[in-house]
Amino acid sequence: MNIMVHAPILAIAVPLLGAFALPLFAKVHRNLRDLWGAAVAGFTAAMAVALAVQAFTSGIQVYTLGAPSPTDTVVAGGFPIRIMLVVDALSAFMGLITTVLGLASLVYAWRFLREDQGKTLALTLFFLLWAGIYGLEYTGDMFNFFVFLEITSIAACALVGYRTWESRPPEAAFKTMALYTLGGLLVLLAVGILYGEYGALNIAYLSSKIRGALVDKVALGLLLGGLLMKAGTVPAHMWAPDAYGEAPAQAAIVLVGNTQASLYGLWRVLFTLFGGALFAPQVGWLVVALGTLTLLVAVLMAVIQVDLTRLIAYGAVSQIGYMLLGVGVGLTVLSGRPEFGLVAIRGGVFHMLNDAATVGLLFLAAGAVYRAVGSKDLRALGGLGHDLKWTGGFFLLGALALAGVPPLNGFASKILIYQSSFQLSPILAAIAVLGSILLLAVFVRAFQGAFLGPRLTKAEPAPLSMLVAMGALAVLVIALGLVPGFFLEHLVNPAADALWRGRDLYLAAVLGG
Amino acid sequence: MGLVTGQGYWTPLIWLALAAGVTALAWLFWSRGRRTYKAGTEQDMPFLSGERLPEGVHVGSHHLYWGFVEGLKPILDRLVGFHSGVVVDYVAWTVVLLAIALVVVLT
Repeated sequence: MNIMVHAPILAIAVPLLGAFALPLFAKVHRNLRDLWGAAVAGFTAAMAVALAVQAFTSGIQVYTLGAPSPTDTVVAGGFPIRIMLVVDALSAFMGLITTVLGLASLVYAWRFLREDQGKTLALTLFFLLWAGIYGLEYTGDMFNFFVFLEITSIAACALVGYRTWESRPPEAAFKTMALYTLGGLLVLLAVGILYGEYGALNIAYLSSKIRGALVDKVALGLLLGGLLMKAGTVPAHMWAPDAYGEAPAQAAIVLVGNTQASLYGLWRVLFTLFGGALFAPQVGWLVVALGTLTLLVAVLMAVIQVDLTRLIAYGAVSQIGYMLLGVGVGLTVLSGRPEFGLVAIRGGVFHMLNDAATVGLLFLAAGAVYRAVGSKDLRALGGLGHDLKWTGGFFLLGALALAGVPPLNGFASKILIYQSSFQLSPILAAIAVLGSILLLAVFVRAFQGAFLGPRLTKAEPAPLSMLVAMGALAVLVIALGLVPGFFLEHLVNPAADALWRGRDLYLAAVLGG
Repeated sequence: MGLVTGQGYWTPLIWLALAAGVTALAWLFWSRGRRTYKAGTEQDMPFLSGERLPEGVHVGSHHLYWGFVEGLKPILDRLVGFHSGVVVDYVAWTVVLLAIALVVVLT
């Protein structure tokens, strides 16, 4: 059996199995649990990477469940009745981001989590969330998209609130669950409308049939509402600082991946399912306007935060604004396809990778601070740089990268967004630059408050596994910044092209012809 | 290794070379300065605006940008008011977002 043929389903099924089997292994011995977790994570990562290599080199990978052969996509009459996984360059790109975040989270969690504070539960929920995110990114079916959306929602909320011995995490989890439930219902209603109209759930098939009827528009509106909320777009972003702020660090970094998977879902709906140009430019302008509002509101809220993780959370929400702005500019001009539209999408897509590395690094560094001194309150912190030298360095690196300071990775993607949004409207570029300046001010304040000044309290340095996880992300931040052209050419450009002109290839790969 | 931005070109290696040049220039100026600095003397005393402060004082991060925050207080107060922490308000804002999306799509 050629295992690589089954890579799409294995990347989802193995972490799912891993999640449910992990508590059983923990019952036997904690070392067996850790060994099982490492084996599952290693295998899943290998599948995701191999799948990405296949998608980038050989084109779109299609896997049909229940068919005599996984490549039998349609039954007689050309109808795709079976559940399908479709991995194009964008899905593969997202899978790589999920892999990086998942591995960093797991390595960090090894010493960060304590046995008497629900380590087995946290690891179980992590694998469940990881499987759900991969499923969201690889599925070619709208109902399965909803199912994976729900899996990620439940696992994410449980990860936020499992520390029931504290008062704030369960409250944050409840608020997040309320919003995720609403978003899930909106998506389910849209899927139901599309199924009622066309009798199908396959994304490619639906895309070939949608012509812009009234029900199509209602379905698009519902999907926009649900997915924009789950991506943390202003004004429906308020759950995000609560969830990110109260989640333990190893969970917060995966929540970043979860949010990005929702953004991916939004891109898939707008560009593939609804054909991009069908509702452009007004939907493009909506995405641009919401992106600009998101980055500005989030960064202004970050200015006044005194809780370190909530401050980073608002910084993370502001980055969602940049991604929406970049891809939104591309969507707005999709009909005419000027060159700057493609540059904008590349900027938005590249920023997803950069955001994952930098925000992930910041959350991990903040987690190390909390572990060391038991506080996240910037009014009480100070002088931690004396004891947490590596953590302070990683935090500073992440902060500068997130603010878009050259030559780090944040600048590389932001310059693409600045210049392309300037072509659409100089005001957009001005707001985007203003957001970055404010973000720099915010993180200078956070770094000064936490790490500089005289030593206020003795802090315990982070263990090696936590430093390794932070170090790996730091290396990625530096590499993405110093050689952006390499990553753009091999990863970002194919992913952006999948949005810009990849719909026909996607439909052909699934439906044939 | 750089990237084409559509309107120009960005290469971090040239930026780093320029940064190294500026650093070398700064070092040159510094190296030609006075050599009377003595570590461990009162020259090491922390001070703020010329005012001597006792050792161990940390200017907390919430003191930074006080003027900026005060200047933007009308806007920030409004924003904080929106972030009420009440889940019903969160749902209401999501409904507002949904309404905006539906209006844009249906018109």
